[in-house]
Amino acid sequence: MPSDIAVAAAARRVKPARARVGVLPYALLLPSVLLLGTLIAYPLAFALTNSFRFWNLAVSPEPMMGVGFDNYAMILDSPDFLRALLNTVMLTVAGTAVEFALGFAIALVLSSALPGMSAARALLILPTTIAPIVVGFLYRYMYDPSGGLAVFILHTIGLPPPAEGLLGSANTALISVLFADVWQWTPFVAIILYAGLLSVPQEVLEAARLDGASRWTMVWRIKLPLIRQTALIVVMLRFMQLFNTFDLVLVLTRGGPGTATRTLGYSLYELGMVQYNIGMASAMTWIIVILVNIFIGIFFYIAFKGREL
Amino acid sequence: MVGENTALTRALLYGCALLALAFFIGPIFWFVLLAIRPPDTAFAMPPVLFFEPTLAAFRHTLVNPGVNAPQAVNSLVVALCTVLLNLPFSVPAAYALSRFPIRAKKHIMLWYLGLLMAPPVAFLIPYFVLATQIGLAGSYLMMVLVMQTLTIPFSVWLMKSFIDEVPVELEEAARIDGARWHQVMLRVTLPIVRPGIIVTSMFAFVFAWNNTAFPLVLSSRSTATLPVGTLGYFATAGVTWNYIAAAAVIAMIPPMVIFLVFDRYVVRGLTFGSVKG
Repeated sequence: MPSDIAVAAAARRVKPARARVGVLPYALLLPSVLLLGTLIAYPLAFALTNSFRFWNLAVSPEPMMGVGFDNYAMILDSPDFLRALLNTVMLTVAGTAVEFALGFAIALVLSSALPGMSAARALLILPTTIAPIVVGFLYRYMYDPSGGLAVFILHTIGLPPPAEGLLGSANTALISVLFADVWQWTPFVAIILYAGLLSVPQEVLEAARLDGASRWTMVWRIKLPLIRQTALIVVMLRFMQLFNTFDLVLVLTRGGPGTATRTLGYSLYELGMVQYNIGMASAMTWIIVILVNIFIGIFFYIAFKGREL
Repeated sequence: MVGENTALTRALLYGCALLALAFFIGPIFWFVLLAIRPPDTAFAMPPVLFFEPTLAAFRHTLVNPGVNAPQAVNSLVVALCTVLLNLPFSVPAAYALSRFPIRAKKHIMLWYLGLLMAPPVAFLIPYFVLATQIGLAGSYLMMVLVMQTLTIPFSVWLMKSFIDEVPVELEEAARIDGARWHQVMLRVTLPIVRPGIIVTSMFAFVFAWNNTAFPLVLSSRSTATLPVGTLGYFATAGVTWNYIAAAAVIAMIPPMVIFLVFDRYVVRGLTFGSVKG
């Protein structure tokens, strides 16, 4: 109410704006930190305690007995886990690299600022808006051995897919999952890098051109270094999301055939929600949480060191 | 740039752009066609491009028997409640982080960001067991609550980027007039960043609408969201692809509309405000 303000003004002299904020900022922050803290601490504590227990929900609704580090040992020893780790690393590294390369190329095309490119940019983002699980539906249709469009195209260009189907063969399943992810997320990378390219000052490009820099030099020596920060954020987001891949695998292959497309995320889901082995799933949760935290730590160090937020 | 493009480079650039559009939009188009084509043409080889379109699949999914209609409503309820619950937590936090010299501010910001990159499956199993034990399995409440782990960090980052843009001078003017901080926040800053709140809510809605991991284990048959419900078609004998496509198309529409309408803010939304579009 204005009258409050008037009274307050009359009552005391106002100090400089930054002074006397007291506990207000912390009070504003506290609800979100408390809620999130609880929502995060509970699962982590749950997983930690149960990772040292034998507990299968199909056998007992309550934890059964302490087993020390057996769950961790069993997971680290199991070939399935190692395969899942390897698949996840391959998917993550290849996916990030391909999406970045392709996305950067598209960003350069878009940044030519020719008429119509902004409409192309607006439409291009559409795959990224779709839920990953729905992308999974879409690609199961595309890959269907009996009449999928991708299968038809492969036949037409003389690269017949394996008889078991793209998702049914251990040779092509992981690449097919990767392809669906690349399809969904390359536009995301392209559009963010394009925004980065727009922020490169025209004078810098003009100066380089006057100095006789080739297009190629401009891209590698000027544009890419100048959008380093944006590029790092994109790479970080894609790397972490790929590392956590789960929905896409659930719909496309359920980790199969065999263990060919098992990712860490999907293995964990299967261990907990299909086999109901809470003890082992909890141990695996912690192994994954530690790995993810290492990656996040490295990315944050590179991307945000010395930067105000 | 434009000036020095020769006709050849222009043609090349347009060629690349068209190729990219065909590659990225083509499959969506093909999937939409699946929803409106006669079932016997769904897997025809060679593919059939021209056919008598039919809305039979949409009638089946939405009206009779309409199994997916309540699921679409569930998706809407969960996503809307998630966004509404998230605002009173995230907006004040974003304001505090934008305006005050908070200790360990950077660590707090990175903590939020780290949560957005956390593996969802790591939380699923504990939440599933907890929900069962406290009788919230299959409830909207549980889904809405756990989705806050995504929407609050997202909204804090995005809202902060909007509040950062409001000149501090406006607030200082109000301060000099004697307003107290909470009055400044509520009566000066928040009204100015109302567009930012709308944009944030819209993208948070997409986040929640598209989230499948949590509803997958926390919903029941009657609270299943649209993507989770659509998964059910794979469990029945003889996959009914036209129905899957129809349900999937319905699931695709709200995010697409929001992204196209808020086109200007897409880059900012996708990077949580860390890259200005």
